[in-house]
Amino acid sequence: MDSDMEISLDRLPIKRLESIEENGAERFPSDVDYDDKRVSLIRRIDFAWALEEEDELKKKKQKKSSKDSVEQWKWKGMVENLQLAHQELTVIIDLIDTVQANDAVTVAGMTRPKPMPNEILSDLAVSTATKLQGYRNLGNYFKQSAKALEQKINREARFYGALIRLQRNWKVKRQRMLASNASNEGFTIDLSDSSLYDPTSGFRPSTLSTIRVDHDSAGMLAINVPQDSWYSLRFGYVGLNPIGNSNESDEHIDSTTGHDIPGTSEKLSASDDKYVKETHSLLREVHKSIFAEQLFDMLNREAFNEGVGFNISGLRENFMEMSIGQGASLFVSLHPSGKNPSIKKSESATLLIESSGRVEPAEGGDYRLKKLGFPNRTSYEIYLQQIFHEHAFGKAKDQLKSKSIRASNQTEKDSNSGLLDHFCLSLTHRIFSNRVLVHLESVVCKVPYLHLISHPTWNSRTSSWTVFMTVPPSIIPQGRSETQSPDGKRNLKTQFRTKVVVKDDCISVEAECTPNVVGLLKSSSCNLFSINKYECDVADLPVMILQQVASQIVCWLLEEARTVGTKASREFLSLSLEIVEGERVSLVAHVNPEDAKGCISWWLVMENGCTEEREGVSESRKLLGHLSLDVLYSVLMDLINLCGTGRNALERL
Amino acid sequence: MMNKGGGSGGGSGPTAAAAAAALQKQKALLQRVDTDITSVVDNFNQIVNVARVSDPPMKNSQEAYMMEMRASRLVQAADSLLKLVSELKQTAIFSGFASLNDHVEQRIAEFDQEAEKTNRLLARIADDASASLKELESHYYSSAQRSTLD
Repeated sequence: MDSDMEISLDRLPIKRLESIEENGAERFPSDVDYDDKRVSLIRRIDFAWALEEEDELKKKKQKKSSKDSVEQWKWKGMVENLQLAHQELTVIIDLIDTVQANDAVTVAGMTRPKPMPNEILSDLAVSTATKLQGYRNLGNYFKQSAKALEQKINREARFYGALIRLQRNWKVKRQRMLASNASNEGFTIDLSDSSLYDPTSGFRPSTLSTIRVDHDSAGMLAINVPQDSWYSLRFGYVGLNPIGNSNESDEHIDSTTGHDIPGTSEKLSASDDKYVKETHSLLREVHKSIFAEQLFDMLNREAFNEGVGFNISGLRENFMEMSIGQGASLFVSLHPSGKNPSIKKSESATLLIESSGRVEPAEGGDYRLKKLGFPNRTSYEIYLQQIFHEHAFGKAKDQLKSKSIRASNQTEKDSNSGLLDHFCLSLTHRIFSNRVLVHLESVVCKVPYLHLISHPTWNSRTSSWTVFMTVPPSIIPQGRSETQSPDGKRNLKTQFRTKVVVKDDCISVEAECTPNVVGLLKSSSCNLFSINKYECDVADLPVMILQQVASQIVCWLLEEARTVGTKASREFLSLSLEIVEGERVSLVAHVNPEDAKGCISWWLVMENGCTEEREGVSESRKLLGHLSLDVLYSVLMDLINLCGTGRNALERL
Repeated sequence: MMNKGGGSGGGSGPTAAAAAAALQKQKALLQRVDTDITSVVDNFNQIVNVARVSDPPMKNSQEAYMMEMRASRLVQAADSLLKLVSELKQTAIFSGFASLNDHVEQRIAEFDQEAEKTNRLLARIADDASASLKELESHYYSSAQRSTLD
């Protein structure tokens, strides 16, 4: 038994050097811990001897059992077997424990039991089904992504379609810097007019001039404009028009444009056409606002220049007030017109209700405006915009057409420098000419044979009218007339005109037969065809016109008398006929613009030439009243007849 | 695809540079198209290839993962292609200067025409108004109305 005993010696657990490095550092092998040691021990187990031993034991037992079956205890063999089995089992349990404790032991070889054919088939079926499922999932995934991509394409098509259509009317720019932002492609719409922004003109670009184009939630094009950021120009008369409150036309515009920013629910239902149109109109609104800003800016700058026609009396942010001639003062303001559409909608109803109440004061205002001679402010608002437009954009166009001509631009600039001045002068002129017209009309209405003809001049600072009078035809047939012009025509006028021209605030009257100083001295004749021109002011205008007309009538009567062959003379506004020697009868016109029935009345004055001291005694006068031209003519003829008889009587004597 | 014209002129610096840049861009775009299409085709091939049911079940589940990965790559490539198309669209919109200019010219002509028409209309209205005014004035002043009015 002792001789079978084998003793194996382990190496001493002394740390041995594995290597020494050049710098002298010693390297030891890593420590082997208990587990590793155990594992290595287990790995060393060799079951081969046990199997051999077992075989030998079995052989021995068989021999022994055959030999010593009698003498040995018959249960001994069984006990030994059991002991061996126990030994083996403990080894195996140890092994299993070790394996369970850590995975360090590898199984060298293990043969699977050969599967049955039905098992193979079922495995295959399972894996095929799994694969099929995988492909189904894949198909769904593809479908989903295809749908998403299609949506993306559609959205893009809509977006770019809208953009292209916007691009037809607006300047769309792309900024690559902003393109990284997801919601924004970096598109902007440039509303500024680059032709206006040359440094010499000094226009500053508006804050609104660049508008960003974004995608909205539906992927559609959306533009972001702050609601309150646009303005409209407002113009009116101080004291007559409300400054802060917007007028009704503006409200109207607002209410139509205010809805142009559609809500999300509307957007989906609205067709692209409508949407693009709305965007267009929104952009147009902004464009107009920029225009108003530019206009106001320019007016502001011009306000600092010296002007003849205006006097600045108030200047605030977005507001300026100035007094112009004719007792009028006006204001120009930039009013924020963009409002929140939601508020707008709710307000519109109340506005409608209010508007019915507003009519009366508006009419009253109109009446006051008319009375003062102020023209309609809307038309002048338009006029202001128009002249600015012509000034700014017409010039730009000209510059484009002929860039080389510097000199012409220079002169143009000089003439355009007083835009505000021109506007104010035009307005003053309009107010003034309205007052002149009122005077003229009052005169013409009172004198039945006068006609008033307006001549549109198409000039904002010139107005012209003609007071027109047609005299009744002469009873003397044409052929027998004594005064004949060389070309065979009668030298008698049948129409008399008095032309009134107002330039800025100067009235000039232009007419034949002017009762002037020359006419007073040369009382014997009056030239029917010489036209005189003189100026007057508005207070004297009615008297002047009436005098002019009366003088024309006197001239006409004089000529008629001469045609008949009667000696007659003219003296300012009187026509004298000599009936007998020393006795004269005069037809005198009296002019009174205040007379309501007819401003020209006629007197018949008899003069007795024999008496040196006249005054009342020998002079008798008789009021004939307001005579029409026909009656006047017949009076003249009667007087001429009287003259004839008087002369005949003298001759007879 | 891109504006290559003008590069042949050659002499001027900026034009040549622009042409070179355009060429570069064109190349880059074509390359992207190639890459994307290759990716689509490759991934599809792979997906088709793994359709075979292989014996060890473990390999099958590996292949399922691979399939998903390939599919997502395929979709990604398609998306990239679409992006390219939209880029091309943008370029077409913003670089089609000829058509843009044509449009501008056309609009200018239209607006000029419109302005002319408006001016004519205004002139006509003015003429009409002055004629009417004249007529009305002559009627009014020769009528019996005026004497009774005052």
